[in-house]
Amino acid sequence: MRAKLTDEQERIQETAEDFLESNGGIEFARREMEGEDVVDEVWAEISDLDYPAVTVPIDHGGLGEGMVYLSALLEATGRYAMPGPLPETAAVGAPLIADLGDEDQKDEYLPAVADGDCRLSVAVYNDRNESLPAAVGADGEVAEDGSVTISGTKTLVPYADAVDEVVVATRTREAGGYDGVTLCLVDPESEGVSVEALDSLDRTRPLYDLELDLTVPPERVLGPAHGGGSALERAADRFTVASCAMLVGAADRAVDMSAEYSTERTQYGQPIGKFQAVKHRTADMWIDMQSARSLTYYAAWALDADDPDATRAVSAAKSYAADRLHRVFGDDMWNHGGTGFTWDHDAHIYLKQAKAWRNFLGTPEEHRDRLIEARLSE
Amino acid sequence: MDFEYTAEQEQFREELQEWLEENLPDGWTEGDRDVPDDQDEREQFLRDWQARLYEGNWAGLHWPSEYGGRDASLIEQTVYREETAKYHTPQQINAIGINFVGPTLMEVGTDEQKERYLSNILNGEEVWCQGYSEPGAGSDIASLTTRAERDGDEFRINGQKIWTSYAHYADWCFLVTRTDDSGLKHEGITTILVDMDQEGVSTSPIHQASDEEGFNQMYFDDAVAPVENVVGEVDEGWDVVMTLSSFEHGTTRIFSIEQRYKDILEYCKNNTRNGQPLVQDPVVRQELADLDSRIQAAKVSHLRNVSKQMETGMPGPEGSMDLVVADELANDLENFAVNILGPEAALWEDGPEDGQWVRDYLQTYGSWIAAGTGDIQRNIIGERVLGMPKDDKSQTSHREES
Repeated sequence: MRAKLTDEQERIQETAEDFLESNGGIEFARREMEGEDVVDEVWAEISDLDYPAVTVPIDHGGLGEGMVYLSALLEATGRYAMPGPLPETAAVGAPLIADLGDEDQKDEYLPAVADGDCRLSVAVYNDRNESLPAAVGADGEVAEDGSVTISGTKTLVPYADAVDEVVVATRTREAGGYDGVTLCLVDPESEGVSVEALDSLDRTRPLYDLELDLTVPPERVLGPAHGGGSALERAADRFTVASCAMLVGAADRAVDMSAEYSTERTQYGQPIGKFQAVKHRTADMWIDMQSARSLTYYAAWALDADDPDATRAVSAAKSYAADRLHRVFGDDMWNHGGTGFTWDHDAHIYLKQAKAWRNFLGTPEEHRDRLIEARLSE
Repeated sequence: MDFEYTAEQEQFREELQEWLEENLPDGWTEGDRDVPDDQDEREQFLRDWQARLYEGNWAGLHWPSEYGGRDASLIEQTVYREETAKYHTPQQINAIGINFVGPTLMEVGTDEQKERYLSNILNGEEVWCQGYSEPGAGSDIASLTTRAERDGDEFRINGQKIWTSYAHYADWCFLVTRTDDSGLKHEGITTILVDMDQEGVSTSPIHQASDEEGFNQMYFDDAVAPVENVVGEVDEGWDVVMTLSSFEHGTTRIFSIEQRYKDILEYCKNNTRNGQPLVQDPVVRQELADLDSRIQAAKVSHLRNVSKQMETGMPGPEGSMDLVVADELANDLENFAVNILGPEAALWEDGPEDGQWVRDYLQTYGSWIAAGTGDIQRNIIGERVLGMPKDDKSQTSHREES
């Protein structure tokens, strides 16, 4: 029992914070928001620091680490809303290829991911109003030679125009839940794919529609036909925990901003931090942030350990983070008075991020339902 | 990050479980957990349990072996809390002595005091209370007015204390007194060990909202204590108060809250409303899940604090978070429990478990205030964790009357 990051995990967290701080902190995110394409620049830097390699297995050129390590890192990048598909690549894409890929696929993609030469994203939603797994549309068909023909529109695909491959989930056989899903690797620049940007609430994390009308050859199909569902479910869990970790990092900074501001800002002749209304609100923000952090670490550990409690842990982290951290970012805005509501202040960036993540990969309500189901089947 | 317990820790858990199975009162492990209502019988019951814990070497789990303890690590203490919560073990009548007074004497007591008191604290032969709060001074301990005046070789003590847990059972009191009021309010304080079995000391129970009598008023009317009973230096007792309160951070109720949650979850599985199990009601499910995740968060946060403390050797102000979160959780959980009873929630003694659910719910309001209100814990977090400016007027001190 050691409910603490290792020294190495703490070190990577600090290095990542230092790197972002010395590169203007949230400036990367602000430039992304203004429509500048900064992902190449970010990726070149973080590839030197081995971030995309974190979850790639050691024998394929990576660091072979799991979700705890990745969460520690994403917490640091989340502090400054670092743009780029690091969670998609490291929490979803690379582990899926490592789990399901054959030797050729692993050799082709994993070392490239580790080197920073292959960025990944994931496409699951056909219907923006559906929940997972029902949102995975039945738009695929498996041919006898193992190729998969997909014709349909995937939506809410993060960073689709800044990645090399998208893991596309398509339902190739009618079945309940996650059964009957096939996973394919699709190059968004290939023929039969068109990418259209959506105007996203959180402009630091752009979302896209992906229109697909193509046949994916067998060597780009990941894992067994109709049998990618359970791996996808676990990948969604990892993605969920990754999003929690980023929001925890953001919340940590929101608490810092509020505490610092309330010490500097004076009203009625004294710093506003002396007022209990401000002090207690900030203390509550800190408590919520620490609670979300605890749940995130525990869920990350449970996934790494393949603990039977993992489903419950992931859903606890997601539902708690989505509801309580949203409040933290709102309170941060509130603590800053009128200034907090301006574009120039960072509070709105985090608030929008939290809202954008809230229902992605399951609403808090759905996750609470999933949590209780897991409890009942214990 | 590793939430797996080591083989040694699991072995410790098994040893404890076996001991509890064998030594808990008859019928206890089958759910027949009767504690006598009669005050005297109750005291005897609790003293017997305390003695039994001592015999099994479980009383001073965290005490150093040189004082007869077990030298248990923080993780082992955590396992102990988790398991005793699972078994709903009776309260320790000498909790104040063992958890606070003993460790404080080890830290700042004289050799004679250690010799005289520690073994009797551990074996439970002398039960302790702590005389802190006063009618006009709750969390603001330093505003106390109970006076101790030097009279030859003794101190003569006059004043009144309130909210004192265990005072009606206690043989000794760890009393905070004022010996000088010419300076600042944190100066001129003296902590004294006072024999409760003397003419000048009397107690009267306080009738609580929960219809129970858990704590007391204490009156000191020319009570006496020899000068050698002063802990630390005369007029410099504030340091002692701070030493004692640093031990209070180590406690958490989260494991008993978790156990209570599991009991309520069982109730929701096994009881129906309008022909449907409660656990299938969408609103009930959402609330259950929310409480579940909050409990998990509080537990992991506590384990993180413990892990941090094992490295630094010091409990941090983060312990304030354990208190705030546990208090609110307990209240929300018991409130939820009463709510799901349906119309039956209107009953007290005629309700479920002879009114115990309602009493537990009411009791959470009391626990909320004990140990310093959540407001004070939030001040501690704001000021000591987040470095926010202090209100010059409030020097907050954290304390517990449990």
